[in-house]
Amino acid sequence: MGKGGFHLETQDPIIRLAIADKFLNLARANSLWPMTFGLACCALEMMAASMARFDIARFGAEVFRPSPRQADLMIVAGTVTKKMAPTLITLYEQMPSPKWVLAFGSCAISGGPFVFEGQYNILEGVDKIVPVDVYIPGCPPRPEGLLEGLMKLEEKITGTRRFPTPEQKW
Amino acid sequence: MNSLIDFLYVFVFIIVAALFAITPIIISYFIAPKTKGAKTFDTYECGIEPFGGAWIRYSIHYYIYALIFIAFDVDVLYLFPVALSYTKGANAYEFYSLLIFVLILVLAIIYAWGKGVFTWKRKILS
Amino acid sequence: MVKAIFEDIRKKLNNIDVKEIAYAERGYHLAIEANLTDIVAIVEFFNSKGFYLADLCCVDYVEYLELVYFFNNHQKLCRVKTTLKLTPEKPVAPTISHIYTMAHWYEREIHEFFGVYFDGHPNLTYFFLHDGIDHYPLRKQQIPVPPEDKKLLNSFKPEEEEDYFSINLGPQHPSTHGVLRVVLRMDGEYVLSAEPVMGYLHRMHEKMAENRPYLQFLPNPARMDYPAALLFNLAHVTTIEKLCSIEVPPRAQYIRTITCELNRIASHLLYLGSFPADLGGLTPFLYAFDDREQILDILERITGSRLTYCYFRFGGLYNDIDDTFIDGTKQFIKRMRERLGMYEKLITKNVIFINRVTGTGILKQSEIPLYGCSGPVIRGSGIPFDMRKVEPYAAYADIDFEIPTGHTGDNMDRYMVRMREMEISLGIIEEAVKKLPSGPYNAEKVPKKLKPPKGDIYHVVESTRGETGVYVVSDESDIPYRMRWRVPSFSNLMTFPALAKGTLLADAIATLGNYDIVVPEIDR
Repeated sequence: MGKGGFHLETQDPIIRLAIADKFLNLARANSLWPMTFGLACCALEMMAASMARFDIARFGAEVFRPSPRQADLMIVAGTVTKKMAPTLITLYEQMPSPKWVLAFGSCAISGGPFVFEGQYNILEGVDKIVPVDVYIPGCPPRPEGLLEGLMKLEEKITGTRRFPTPEQKW
Repeated sequence: MNSLIDFLYVFVFIIVAALFAITPIIISYFIAPKTKGAKTFDTYECGIEPFGGAWIRYSIHYYIYALIFIAFDVDVLYLFPVALSYTKGANAYEFYSLLIFVLILVLAIIYAWGKGVFTWKRKILS
Repeated sequence: MVKAIFEDIRKKLNNIDVKEIAYAERGYHLAIEANLTDIVAIVEFFNSKGFYLADLCCVDYVEYLELVYFFNNHQKLCRVKTTLKLTPEKPVAPTISHIYTMAHWYEREIHEFFGVYFDGHPNLTYFFLHDGIDHYPLRKQQIPVPPEDKKLLNSFKPEEEEDYFSINLGPQHPSTHGVLRVVLRMDGEYVLSAEPVMGYLHRMHEKMAENRPYLQFLPNPARMDYPAALLFNLAHVTTIEKLCSIEVPPRAQYIRTITCELNRIASHLLYLGSFPADLGGLTPFLYAFDDREQILDILERITGSRLTYCYFRFGGLYNDIDDTFIDGTKQFIKRMRERLGMYEKLITKNVIFINRVTGTGILKQSEIPLYGCSGPVIRGSGIPFDMRKVEPYAAYADIDFEIPTGHTGDNMDRYMVRMREMEISLGIIEEAVKKLPSGPYNAEKVPKKLKPPKGDIYHVVESTRGETGVYVVSDESDIPYRMRWRVPSFSNLMTFPALAKGTLLADAIATLGNYDIVVPEIDR
């Protein structure tokens, strides 16, 4: 807390070919490995998304790695308190590149229902300390929301959307 | 002299296996983007700074692994030359003498097993 | 029992100010006003009678601070409230952590939230709050932390030793069920000491309660204990209804019972999935979540949410149930009974599970009053204490059910108690559905701006983890003066350092998983 966030130096790859890029991005988008970073209530919806009903494994994101060294997607599910913030930054820095962050739930987006005047302990949004790629609103969002967020992230990585947008039925 | 050709096959096998392991590392060194943060190369300890180093004296409780090693590895070591020259024997008594040899080694393991050496104590009161 | 204690304490300690209170109004039987000299003697008296310390909290009336101790008995219900007034400038109170072990953590919490110093406490360091907090959060005025106390904030640094090493079972771990951090001191594979560090999910619920009207606080209890959100909802709503003397119609009581028991089964299913996962068996997780989805579907139709429900209102419910709900419930009960048989074969009769779980984490019955545990933890050790039977609320008084207990208090007993509780909950739901009366589902004329009369009340509900208590102090306005939540996981977790000492790391993790703690409940 108070350190101002993460500090990351990036280095571009040594060899970079446009056609290899397209193929590599496709491979990265279809095999995102999330890190188990369920903090609060949203963690339960994240777990439900990985279970038999809303199978997240069919999109490639099956193995939830506990160690950041083997993960490339950090799903911040839950409220980030000021005590937890340095831990989050450490874990984000320990993930290898390329990495993405999904802010799952309204607490991770902007503090959620716990923002009131005189609040002293939560971080109003995880994007104050790490760069976020996709925001998934809800309190908690449905597991289908997580799947849609994953689709949006794939679209961000590859440029095209693999699955059709579900049509509105009401 | 003809057995030296076998060594050539083993040598080629070693080279191919090493290449198989090193090639992805080389590929990712060239293609992957790299990042470096303040804490990137720290030991992972669930997000908290680790207390002190990990190179302390090994606890005595792990002697069980050493015991298991001695029990089974010595056995296997004696069986390697047997495996190599098993097809060259012709008499039945060779098999029985080998069996008695292995059984004597196994007796020691059974004795240790019965004494309860291979189990961890569930709770130490300290 | 109440009369006996009343006479006894008057005989033992003279000059004691003890009054009998109308239990139906306030939730406790006796009120004692102690002062600094005789508080320790009072606490020792209750310890000798076998009472346990249910809660220890502090309320900030601006001219003075008041420490409130609640004692209760496992054998027969007798709740005693003891108060101790302290001066607001430099509040000092004697510690009772040498009598009741659980007071260790409660006193640390009061120290960091209110600034009360406890004489004789061995380790008065910060527990929940982060470094750099410079005021006492729950005081009504902004009172800064004096500089000589600030050094206590970061005083948690284990020394380096040659033979033993300290390792973090950190906040980000697949088997700590949330953001719980435990600092383990290990001798090889054996745990020498385990010290939990809390506060990684402190979301200021008690401060929020002082900032918003009663109706606006309704979503908060569900976020405290998300697997069993309806039960915390029930605790909140029943307490305020008791305080304001609002009559809830019987149909609403029965529906509350049915939905709470469904939620209890859902929470136990989550335990059933995650406890074997801690031991390494990842299969039951998928089966348990499948059953959980059935319950969530049934409840979603009437409540509108899947996880953090906000279904009860003061005086009744938000929505009435319909026939689809009842049919769905009946089908679910039939299905669940077969599935419970499957879980028996899959988990309970599994040789590896039996070997890993029996004989570890034994909590003796004699230690329980020192810690104030509740819920399946004490029922596993043989004490048949269930708030639904002892202090019936909602429709539990009309429904007949039994309380499962274990014998030895090891991990297997607590697991079996929870399995039996699931079966018993199915029976309760069946009976409640049969007896469901018709009628209104909401009390009439409940004001939108609820202004309870002046006073305080303490009400307890049996949530899935144990005894959940709400202590509300109201000052006639529509915002509570103080709302204190007594959560079961906090006192259950206090036994962990004692149970994990000297065991293998794998057994310590199994014990930790067996408590079925929910960390947002502890951190509030």
